[in-house]
Amino acid sequence: MNPVSLTGPVTLSLIIAVILQLIPVSGDWILWRPNFLMLMMVAWILYQPSRFGVGFAALIGLLADTLFRTALGHYVLVFALCGAVTYLLSRWLTYFSYFHRAILIFLLVIFSELIQSLLFSMWDVPMGLQHVPVLGFVSAVVWVLVDKFVASLNFIYR
Amino acid sequence: MKNVFAKSSSPLRKIFLVSLVAFGLMALDNSTSWLSPLYRVADSVVRPLYWITNIPARVQEWGEVNVTSRTVIEQENARLKQENLIHLGQLQRMSELAAENLRLRQLLNATELLMDSVLVTEVIGVSPSPQSHTVTVDRGSDDGVYVGQPILDAEGLMGQIISVYGGHSVALLITDSTHALPVQVLRNGVRSIAEGTSDYNRMTLRFVSPTSDIVEGDQLVSSGLGGRFPVGYPVGTVASISQKPGDTFVDVEVDPSAQLDRSRHLLLVFTSIDGSPDRNSR
Repeated sequence: MNPVSLTGPVTLSLIIAVILQLIPVSGDWILWRPNFLMLMMVAWILYQPSRFGVGFAALIGLLADTLFRTALGHYVLVFALCGAVTYLLSRWLTYFSYFHRAILIFLLVIFSELIQSLLFSMWDVPMGLQHVPVLGFVSAVVWVLVDKFVASLNFIYR
Repeated sequence: MKNVFAKSSSPLRKIFLVSLVAFGLMALDNSTSWLSPLYRVADSVVRPLYWITNIPARVQEWGEVNVTSRTVIEQENARLKQENLIHLGQLQRMSELAAENLRLRQLLNATELLMDSVLVTEVIGVSPSPQSHTVTVDRGSDDGVYVGQPILDAEGLMGQIISVYGGHSVALLITDSTHALPVQVLRNGVRSIAEGTSDYNRMTLRFVSPTSDIVEGDQLVSSGLGGRFPVGYPVGTVASISQKPGDTFVDVEVDPSAQLDRSRHLLLVFTSIDGSPDRNSR
């Protein structure tokens, strides 16, 4: 039996993530805005580890690079590493509660920001880390909605 | 989709391969412009989404115009009339000063007086990354916009155009960490270079000697050196000056004049000689 194609729901979720990412915000809010593309990528790997993995994460990273205007390859690496961590933990994470998954997202965001800081420092681009705890917390809160959204898409297209 | 993303090898092996590709891409992107067509394609694809992302701002603008009471509009109208009167008075004085300046330049056999024309534009997109300070505006090559063109808001200099498309352009803001512009102190003409810090509210002056005559509160304007930015536009105000023990130079922090993360309507500056429009110059 052939599995149901997920091209439609994945594309839809990515378009929503891009729109949320592009909404203009001012002041410190730009520092605290979650990376919706990363959250969406993590959710898909979590729910469909047999279909989505490191390659998928790298492709979403490429999309993020063109969107964020960072050096091509920057988010490819960050997303691939986060995607790999999610993929390796996906077997256990499906049994976790929303709260425990939110904690994982908090840690994953801190991990991704540390990698980004390292990469930016290679090109002499300053990046403070003071905002990271708040960003992690906001991402963990938003994650619950992203998780439910992708879960419902999976339910519809199962 | 299954064939593209199907598992074929261990994640660690994939990570190793992806890391190699990523570092190769980063090195290539930082040292050449070979990958810039990819950004152009992405910009063209994403542009329709800006219309959706601007809906909240448009709803707010619509609300300000249509939901405001008549009394508030009348008060605002009266205030704008007063401001207009004051500005017209100042403009008369400016015309007199400009004419005097021109006469003095002619006496000194100086080069042509630079006059600027402007084009109003609207911000339709803001870079989602805190590290990259760029905005997308709704004017492109169809309107004569060119790479390197300065962009202003009502308060001061905002940045310069870095990519031009048919109907829109991308501008790099002066607070981006990769941006630097020549400035001078309005009070005494001391020159320096103002660099971005990836913070919308902060710029720095690099390599300022402790003996330089720069004090807190000094107004900085573009010096025009380098020929990229026209002379005399407000850039910022010196916010603090400090020196770490053992350092050769002082740290000068500058508050940008422009409302970099708030302004919506901007001005594209067309620098020309004697006021004749020169929209194709680069």
